[in-house]
Amino acid sequence: MIVIKNEKVRRFLKIAVPFIFMPVLLILGTVVFDEKKFAWVILATTVLALLLFYSGFEKKVIGTRRMVIIAVMTALSVVGRFIFALIPGFKPITAIVVITAIWLGPESGFLVGSLSAVISNFYFGQGPWTPFQMFAWGIIGLIAGYLGRFLKKNKPALAVYGVFAGVFYSMFMDVWSVLWYNNEFNISVYLAALVTAIPYTISYAASNVVFLLLLGRPFGEKLERVKLKYGV
Amino acid sequence: MKSFKDYNPRAVFLFFLGVIVPSMFVMDPVLLAISFGGAVTLHFTLNGRNGFKGFWLFPVIIAAGLILNPLFYHNGATVLFVLNNNPITAEAALYGLVMGLMISGILLWFRSFTTIMTSDKLLYIFGAASPKLALMLSMIMRYIPLFRRQISKTNQAQKAMGLYKEENTIDKLKGGMRVFSVMVTWALENGVITADSMVARGYGVGRRSQFAIFKWRKADKLFLLLAMVCTGITFLTIARKAIGFTFYPKITRVPFNALAAAGYAVYLLLVLLPVIITVREVRLWQSLQSKI
Repeated sequence: MIVIKNEKVRRFLKIAVPFIFMPVLLILGTVVFDEKKFAWVILATTVLALLLFYSGFEKKVIGTRRMVIIAVMTALSVVGRFIFALIPGFKPITAIVVITAIWLGPESGFLVGSLSAVISNFYFGQGPWTPFQMFAWGIIGLIAGYLGRFLKKNKPALAVYGVFAGVFYSMFMDVWSVLWYNNEFNISVYLAALVTAIPYTISYAASNVVFLLLLGRPFGEKLERVKLKYGV
Repeated sequence: MKSFKDYNPRAVFLFFLGVIVPSMFVMDPVLLAISFGGAVTLHFTLNGRNGFKGFWLFPVIIAAGLILNPLFYHNGATVLFVLNNNPITAEAALYGLVMGLMISGILLWFRSFTTIMTSDKLLYIFGAASPKLALMLSMIMRYIPLFRRQISKTNQAQKAMGLYKEENTIDKLKGGMRVFSVMVTWALENGVITADSMVARGYGVGRRSQFAIFKWRKADKLFLLLAMVCTGITFLTIARKAIGFTFYPKITRVPFNALAAAGYAVYLLLVLLPVIITVREVRLWQSLQSKI
């Protein structure tokens, strides 16, 4: 699916972001700015990475149906937070992202993941963390998409991926919180942050596994059916 | 006369950028105090008494910075006392305090940002860059309330069938899964029908245009101009290194001069712009009422 319509802009971004913008940013970050601007460098890098991913989506013919289905899955992942609001710490976002990615491919996974982050932050508060959440969930979806065929058949692997996604999300977001809080990366502070986040990490990982195992097959079948019936 | 919320979203977005970037970028106690003060005033102007809900978080963050930072960092020349063979320094404590001020200020700015910049406004700002993405976002935003309504319908139907009798987490979870599953089937079918309907009406045939309800009025332009001038001057003073602060090894401020004073004054004006606009509006409203 083409997100950035203008082909010249897309091609420019695809070359300029990895070969010009990012190196310049990193060099500026280490050489020009005084020691403590890493939070900025990493924030800008994340935004650039998101741009790069969006400019990479090139497939010319994408049906309106698939676009609407991506929108539907994103809305479901956000609404899922409300369904399970009664049980604290249970959020199906990651599971929905992974399931969509497995059945509809890496691009759809990345889109559903990153859009879910923006949309759910309309309800839970935007902040400088929004690009990081977009990136973290997007990457979780992208990898799940590439592992799709393998994860589709293998239930234990799916559970392991759920744990990985929970731990990855927590570790990734803590890098940002530490950088932002200290403006420099201090390994002891990072470890302290990870330790205090352990209950959350466990609840992320556990809810991912539960949702993936319970919802994986039925949701997958539904997506498969829609794909077959309507030729998405 | 418009309230701050009704100003052109592009101008308001640039205003927020101009306020938030310096206060994330510059470790200067005065600048950060101004930013925090502005954030608090705007927060209470927008929310009134409701602003106190959840406000306790910010003193906690500031106190946490003040207490926790010296426990992790032992740089600094002024040792206050020694704890477990680790020196606790005044510099580290002050750094933590300023850091707490920065974080709570930015969190507050983003709270106001979330209140003012509703999804339709963000779509207006970013929609031009990618109409397809904007369309998807607006579809998602429409689906969420629709799905929530459908979920409560499904829940009620399930209850009428005699499910969820007991207070039981496993039961709740199972019920949630069942409702979710029902929702997915319904939503996917619904989505495909929507897509077909879109195609039938000619979606994807021509160029996508964008509808926006927001206009550039004189007040918007004036506001944007003022905000940009203020931001520019603030950035200039920062770039000229008139504003800046070193914490380690000893707290030192770059020599204070007229440029720094101008920078602080201009930044203060910038952060207070929304409040000034609101107060002016209230005044005008009152004077109009008294004439009647």
